[in-house]
Amino acid sequence: MNHVQLPPQFAFLEPFVDDWGSLATQDERYRKRQDLSQAKLEAFHAALAPRLEEVFTYLDTFDPAALPAAEALLFRVVLGLTEASQAVEILGQPRIPHAPYPHTVNMEWVGYQPH
Amino acid sequence: MADISKHMTKACDMSLGNAFVPVEYYTSPDYFRREQDMIFRRAWLMVGRMDEVPEPGDYIVREVPTLKANVVIARGKDGQVRAFHNACSHRGVALVCQPRGNTMTFRCPYHAWLYRIDGSLSAIPGEQDFPHVDKAANGLAGIHLDTWGGFIFLNFAQEPEVSLSQFLAGLDVMLDGAPFEQFPFCIRVTDEIDCNWKNLVNAFNEGYHVAVLHNKTLRPAVVPKDNPHLHYLDVKQFGPHSTGTVQRNFDYNPDAPALTWVYAQMLPTSAPDLDAIKQGRAGFHDHPGINRLKIENFGTETITVFPNISIQPLANGYLFYQFWPISERRMRTEVRIYSRHAPRTLREEYAMASTLAATRDVVVEDMAMSRLQQIGMESGGKTHQQFGQNEPLLRMFTRDYEAYLAGAAM
Ligand code: FES
Ligand SMILES: [Fe+2]
Repeated sequence: MNHVQLPPQFAFLEPFVDDWGSLATQDERYRKRQDLSQAKLEAFHAALAPRLEEVFTYLDTFDPAALPAAEALLFRVVLGLTEASQAVEILGQPRIPHAPYPHTVNMEWVGYQPH
Repeated sequence: MADISKHMTKACDMSLGNAFVPVEYYTSPDYFRREQDMIFRRAWLMVGRMDEVPEPGDYIVREVPTLKANVVIARGKDGQVRAFHNACSHRGVALVCQPRGNTMTFRCPYHAWLYRIDGSLSAIPGEQDFPHVDKAANGLAGIHLDTWGGFIFLNFAQEPEVSLSQFLAGLDVMLDGAPFEQFPFCIRVTDEIDCNWKNLVNAFNEGYHVAVLHNKTLRPAVVPKDNPHLHYLDVKQFGPHSTGTVQRNFDYNPDAPALTWVYAQMLPTSAPDLDAIKQGRAGFHDHPGINRLKIENFGTETITVFPNISIQPLANGYLFYQFWPISERRMRTEVRIYSRHAPRTLREEYAMASTLAATRDVVVEDMAMSRLQQIGMESGGKTHQQFGQNEPLLRMFTRDYEAYLAGAAM
């Protein structure tokens, strides 16, 4: 998996692959958000949020059930923004005020295997 | 809408004078034991949806942590849905080990006693050594089960004191036909936290905290100018259950590129679908028992089912919250986010993951505050909590809680 590369036109996300690229569940992304600085979350958001449509226009051309390795990596990185955007657009900080740290929450999609 | 304030239900409108509530209810192990015996072993408890077991042979396993119960809910060949304790008649093993599945038999992994999907015992290996065991009398131990609106309720009493319909006391009638089944797909969010379960029950029974605790998450979307403390409107009582109407800001339009992109893919559970409203296909929006005032900026009807459930029908689905006591100072929260369908595209998966993260963050705010509340109450400096006129449902819950602990009929 280490040698999988992002599709070349999305190389701008390369700096964020280490943080988000290997996370497999929403809870792992939530945990990651808690451990990143707000500055790092903002940098990720600034790079990706304005280009979401471009990313998904590209991903639309693949079968969601059979993403090739590079596109699967791209989607995993992009899913990181579901957490990072909460910190950047809503909370103004990585962690929820007063919540336990580290905090994990079990999240199960019943009958669907999320990426 | 003219003056909304006349619809803000106050405690005095409901003749609820109990403004001071002992902290002991929230901190004492003795009260927890009484809650187990006098409430959770007597009330009908919601544990799932019929559409979780749509076909004969489908089963799910559910925990009821308050009673340490491990329950199998299974649809038989005859189409009937039944509930059993997950405990082998031989030596007690919790024999159903998968959280869900489809089968016609359950085989105990210890010595292979075999049960049918209806719970009856069908075979004992080496049966000659169990001449004293009457197979007909040794099925899995049944639990009373009934349904309303597609929701499965259990009753752990030997014989329930009242039927489910009597227990729901008219709530079921008012909400008859509410289209829960239009939203079959769910994401379950569960967490355990160090606080009394009633802290969370109370948090979901008042809007007073929303502008403060949820200042960044919920307030911009839901707290309207004409109701800054988010009083629930038109509160209705049904025995120990209640409903209340909650507004929303229809002009909420955050300057937030990721969220804006999500809205364009698939509206979050709570965001009003203006086109659907106009076309009369907005799910719960048109049900006569919901938003009886017909307020234009309707957000949700918050439905509280005693003892531990809050349901919020929303524009594009509904939220289901359940609060299980584990001890006087530990509880489990289960949140289910129901939508019309599973993600069909990667865009929808992203949008639903984003809504999941946003919903979870709000609930985590409530749980975080409930934990601080527990620390404060256990510190011992205060003997009472004080409930305002704007917290009528907290007083109502307490009134009924006290009555049941004292043995009042369900
Ligand atoms: S405990 Fe189940 S077969 Fe022995
Ligand atoms: Fe809240």
